[in-house]
Formats: sequence, C-alpha cells, structure tokens
Amino acid sequence: MNFQSPQSQVVLSGHGLVKHYGSVVGLAGVDVAVRSGEALAVMGPSGNGKTTLLHVLAGILTPDQGEVWLGGERVDQLNDAARTVLRRRRLGFVFQDNQLLAELPADENVALPLMVDGLSRREAIGRARTILAQVGLAAEVGRRPGELSGGQAQRVAIARALVGEPQVVFADEPTGALDAATGSQVIDLLVGAATYRGAAVVVVTHDNAVAARCHRALHIVDGRVSDAMGAVR
Amino acid sequence: MNPMTELGLRFVRRPGPGGRAANLAAFGATAVVALLVTFLIAGSLGLSHRSERIGWRSADKADPTTAIGSLNLDDDQRVDGHRLSVLDLAVLRPSELAPPPGLDHTPKPGEVFVSPEVAKRWSSLSKPYGADKPTGVISDKGLSSPEEFIIIRGVRTIPSDQRPQYVSSWNEKVWDSRMAGLLIAVAFGIILVLFPILSLVGQAAGVAAKRREHRLAALRLAGATRTQVLRLSAVEQAVLAAAGAVVGLIGYTALSPLIAQIPLGGGRWYVGDITVQWWTVLVVLVAVPILSVISALIGLGRVSITPLGVVRGQTRKGLSVLRIGLLVIGPVMLAYYGMRAAVLPLLIAVGFAALAVRVVGPWAVQLVGKAMAKAANGPVTLLAGRRLVDDPKGAFRPVAALVLSGFVTGFISVFMPTGEDDPSFNDLRIGVALLLSLVFLTVAASTAAGAVGTALDQAAPARALRRSGVPLSVIERAARVATVVPVVGVGLPVVGFGALCGLALSGGKVLTEGSSGVLLLLGQVVAGLVLVTVAGAAGALVLRKASAN
Repeated sequence: MNFQSPQSQVVLSGHGLVKHYGSVVGLAGVDVAVRSGEALAVMGPSGNGKTTLLHVLAGILTPDQGEVWLGGERVDQLNDAARTVLRRRRLGFVFQDNQLLAELPADENVALPLMVDGLSRREAIGRARTILAQVGLAAEVGRRPGELSGGQAQRVAIARALVGEPQVVFADEPTGALDAATGSQVIDLLVGAATYRGAAVVVVTHDNAVAARCHRALHIVDGRVSDAMGAVR
Repeated sequence: MNPMTELGLRFVRRPGPGGRAANLAAFGATAVVALLVTFLIAGSLGLSHRSERIGWRSADKADPTTAIGSLNLDDDQRVDGHRLSVLDLAVLRPSELAPPPGLDHTPKPGEVFVSPEVAKRWSSLSKPYGADKPTGVISDKGLSSPEEFIIIRGVRTIPSDQRPQYVSSWNEKVWDSRMAGLLIAVAFGIILVLFPILSLVGQAAGVAAKRREHRLAALRLAGATRTQVLRLSAVEQAVLAAAGAVVGLIGYTALSPLIAQIPLGGGRWYVGDITVQWWTVLVVLVAVPILSVISALIGLGRVSITPLGVVRGQTRKGLSVLRIGLLVIGPVMLAYYGMRAAVLPLLIAVGFAALAVRVVGPWAVQLVGKAMAKAANGPVTLLAGRRLVDDPKGAFRPVAALVLSGFVTGFISVFMPTGEDDPSFNDLRIGVALLLSLVFLTVAASTAAGAVGTALDQAAPARALRRSGVPLSVIERAARVATVVPVVGVGLPVVGFGALCGLALSGGKVLTEGSSGVLLLLGQVVAGLVLVTVAGAAGALVLRKASAN
C-alpha cells in the first residue's frame, strides 16, 4: 500500500477554529488543512479537543469562531439541514464501536445512506455488495453485526463510510475496540481504500501505530495545535 | 449490606445517562398499576359492603314457619326521575333481635321509615302512606347509597298473592341480587383488564430493565455471577416499584371522593365503602413490587444467560408459528360453555383468549415486519420492518396494552343492550364506560412508557445515523412506523378476535341494539390512534434529545 503524502489540492480546511462548552475550552484557535488522498491523524491526550475538532470539521458541531471549508463551500455557515445533507453526500464516518444498526444485515447497513439519498433498494444493495466485496466481506453480506467479529463489523462500517464516494472520511478511534493485529488491518483498509478513491481521511486516535499509518499527525493539547505539522512517515 | 444490594441502591440514586427518564417512566407506570389494582380491590369490597347493608332485603331462604319477618319489594315507582323502592315488612315473630340495619327499631304496622332523599320530598309523597311525618329516617347503615330512594313500611301481613320473601335475620350475609350481578360483571371486567395491567407491569419493568441490560451484561462479562446480576436488578426494580406503589395508593386515596361519585349499582357511593383497608394496602405494597421484579427478571433472562449476545446485539431466536394454536382455545371454550354456564369456566375462557392475544401478538408483529422489510424500497419502511423482525417481543410490548384493549372493546361490543329503565342495563353501560376508562388509563401509561423506552433504546444508533447525515425525520418516521404498524396490523384483527369471542359466548347473537357497538368500536380506533400519536410525539422528543450531538 502506498502511504506517500499526496501533492493534491486541499479538500478540507479549518481556520482559527474556536469552540467552548460553557467555560470549558474545546478548541482555542486551530488551523488545519487536509488534501485529497491524504490521511491525517489527530492525536493528543483525552479531553483536549481531538473529537471536538473532528465534529467541527465534519459539520456536526459549529465553531464559535473560525471557518470550515469543504471544497469550495463554507460549511460552518450552513444551516443544520444543509450540513446534514453535506455529511450524507460528501463525508463518511467510522466510529469506535462501529455503530452499525443491529437489526440490519451488513449489506442493508451499507445501503441505508444511499437509500436515504433516494436510490432504489436494488441499486443501493448492489453498490453495497460491491464495496463489501472490496473490503473482503463478500461472504458476509447477509449477516447482522452481532454475527460478525469486531474486525468484520468495522470493515462493514468502513464500507458504509465509503459507499457514497465521500470527499473526506472521518474516523473516531476506529481501532479502539480491536486487538492490535485486527486494528492494523482495519486502519490499513480504511486509509488504503479511502485514499485510493481520492478521499481524505481524518483519524482521531490515541494509538501511535494508527498514526504511523497516516501521512501526517496533528497533536492537539488544551485545544491548540501543540506541534508543527510534520510527516510521520 | 450485600455489595450487589448496595450497588443496586446506588444505581437507583444515580441512574446514569438515559436512566432517569427510564426510571421515571417505570415509576410512573407502576404508580398507575398500583392505583388500578387498589381500585379493583377496594371497588369489589365496596360492592360487598353495600350488599351487607341491604342484603336482608333480598333474603328469601328462611322457612316461613320459623322466619322472623316477611317482605315484599316494589320498585316500579319513580320520583323526580329516580327509581323509588317501597319495601313492605311484616314482623312474624316478635323477637329481641336488633332492628334491621339503619332503623332505630323494627317497624310496627303503619310505621314508615324513609331514606334522606325521600324525607326531603315527603310532603309530596306522604299521601298513600297516611303519615304526615315519617316514623324515622334510615341512617347510612341501612342504605345502599347516599342517594337511595327507599321507603320501608311496617305492615301487619303480606298477602300470599304478593309472594312474600321470608327472612330469618335482619343481618343476613346474603348478596343483594343487583350487587351479585354487578360482582360477576366486575369479575369479567377484572379478567379483561388484567392482561393490559400485566402488560403495563411488564412495560414498566422492561423500560428500566432495558436501560440496565448493557450495564448488567458488562458486569457479567466482568465476572459477576448470574445470581448477583439478577439480585442487583431486583433491588433496583423493587425500590422503584415500591415507590410507585406508595404513590399509587396515595393517588387512590386522594381520588376516592371522586370515585365515590360513580353512580354504579344504584347510585353514588359512601366514601367509607371504597376506602382502602390495611390489608389492601399490604397486598398492593407487596404484590405490585413482586410482580414488577418478576417481570424485570424475566426481561433480563437474556442478559444473565448470554451477556456477550446483548453487548454485541446478537440476533434473537424467531418465534414459533405454534403460538397461533392458542387463539383457538378461548373461543372454543366460550362456545362450548355458552352464557348459561357457571361464571368460573367463562372467566377462564376469556382469560385464555386474552392470554392468546398477548402470546400471539409478537409472532404477528414478526410476520408483519418480515413482509414490510421484504417489500421496502425506502429507508423508513426497511428500518421499521427490520426492527419488528429483530425484536418482535420488544416491539409488541409497548403496544400490548393497546392491542389488548382492542380485544376488550371487540368483546363487549357484542353486549351493549339498550333500555333506559332497566337498572341492570344501566349498570352494564356505566360498567363498560368504567372498564374502558381503566383500560385506556392503563394503555396510555403503557404506551407512553413504551415510547420512552423505545426512544432510549434507539438513542445510540440514532446518534450515529444523525452524525452520518441521516435526517432526524427519517429516524423519527422509522420509529413511528415501527410503533404504529403493530397497533394497526395486529390491533385491528384483535378487535375482530374480541368480537368473535363475544359471539362465541353469546351463541352467535349480537345482543347490542342500536349503534352503541359501532360507536364503541369507532371510539376504540380513534382513541387508540390518538394515544399512539401522542405517545409517539413523547417518544420523538426523548429520541431527539437522547440522540443529539
């Protein structure tokens, strides 16, 4: 797998991002930029603003100050409905505990965002099965999350994140619930599959091994970038 | 203190995220259950108290040669729209016995005792009795109701052509015929309301238990034994249910002056007749928490046995089609015994039919869910259908009481007689209104608790979906469809099944006259849909809040 830092254009950027929760500082002026096909690891101690940064960049939260740009569009000024559509059509998400719907089989879990976007069930399921095959789960399309291993479930979550061909995939501790070996396979798959499609990846992680699989790492301490951005590899 | 007991008490005090809403729902639902159970017990005892005071008027067991008195009751007259009873009493054997209840002495020929309501109107009623003033006013101890219209007249003899009744004591423990009929109706009412109440108990326990499922599964995975986990849960549920039972009892006591205004069985009630007795308090305080704890433990069986399955959201086993076999037993028993049979077998048959609805309901929900999921072409129907298939028992539980109310309505819609003047028919009409009020109170509490519980269950995946860009409206619509479909898809056929059971009992005859049966059924459908809509709105609020970022 090729992990060389790409030289493509910036797809996602945040400028002077500030976010407070009452008197608690979440972000205290963060600047960040991610290029297409690039994987960025966001690291730092717990409670120092990593997940807040991910949520602000993804349009889940709006910043108190600063700007978020996705492609040529300013995200932080969109209303909630527009940000919802943007997240569905242009972003992908992978959560720590996969957050798959327990009652749906793997293919329907992956197809659901497409169906929400208006695709017919047949077409959505077809695309879901194709991408599930690409992540090595061709034989598990009809299984429910409870019938899959932790690693398999996380692969389904990656397939769900990628099926809409997003510009950026956000992952919050995607290997936090997995053993080291499975975690490595999952992060390789996530970074490899996303960047292969030209998507940027933003991964929040505590794990140096995960960060090592990304092109760059950003350290957040007390809501600020503590370190100059630098290539990890 | 046992560490698990201590931990259980701590969880009640600090229930954690989502736990407060679940505990409140469980507590509120248990309070409603306690109120209803108290009402049913105290109401039945009220019938008995009322009957004890007036039972001697219906007695006709004594041997005429040894009887102390003979009676003749005429209740064909009316005063100001009320039925006036005139009881002629002839003393056959002067005795040292105490006088009849409520009279200061046994009436001698020519003496007239009247109830307070009659006393107020005596000037216009006195003519046929030849007395400017009544001899005495009957006290509360001799009246069925504060507003009873009765005259007790002493006579020398009662002619044999009037078919006198013979009495051997003025305090006979004989059931007044109207009260006895009412008691049988109450017994049927209790059987009909029993399953909605049990559903509410299960729902109340289930809401809180579901909140605990993951926490307890985590404890099991961390090494707690099955017994320890169940003990912890039992302590939590017992505390919530005991608090609910106390509030329910207080609520009943506060409401009893209002309940006494219900004009069932010949007029309003003395509050003392329906006041709770110490042993009723004891029964409610013990039975409601025990039932609640049992329901919670049954609900947690899956956790204690397969904790990993719960944590990973493993698939549940499908429900057997054999369940529908139960549907046959009730109607067949009712048709076999018919209306002339003893009360007990009929009560058992009705109970079986209601039980069948409770047992078959989840299977029917699963069937409907499969059809929905198969036919779905959009995310809402797909999500709702899969939810119904995945956990049909969980999907049916919140609406079980509502579906069972459909059975009750269907059943009684066959027995809605008209006839303004017949006191039994009047009792039946008031009884039906009362029964449906109780059922709908149960249903409202159960459906609301269920909506909150379901919303809390779906909070975590709903949050993930919202973050991924799935609109809240899709998530809410899926939740709404998953609630409404069991009500419509299973509830409506159950109304038909209730009517079928009623027809089986009546031998195929519709005893309902006029449009009252149709109105009842329409009322059921409208009230059911309104309840589901309101509960759905409450659930949507909780889901919106719990799944917010």
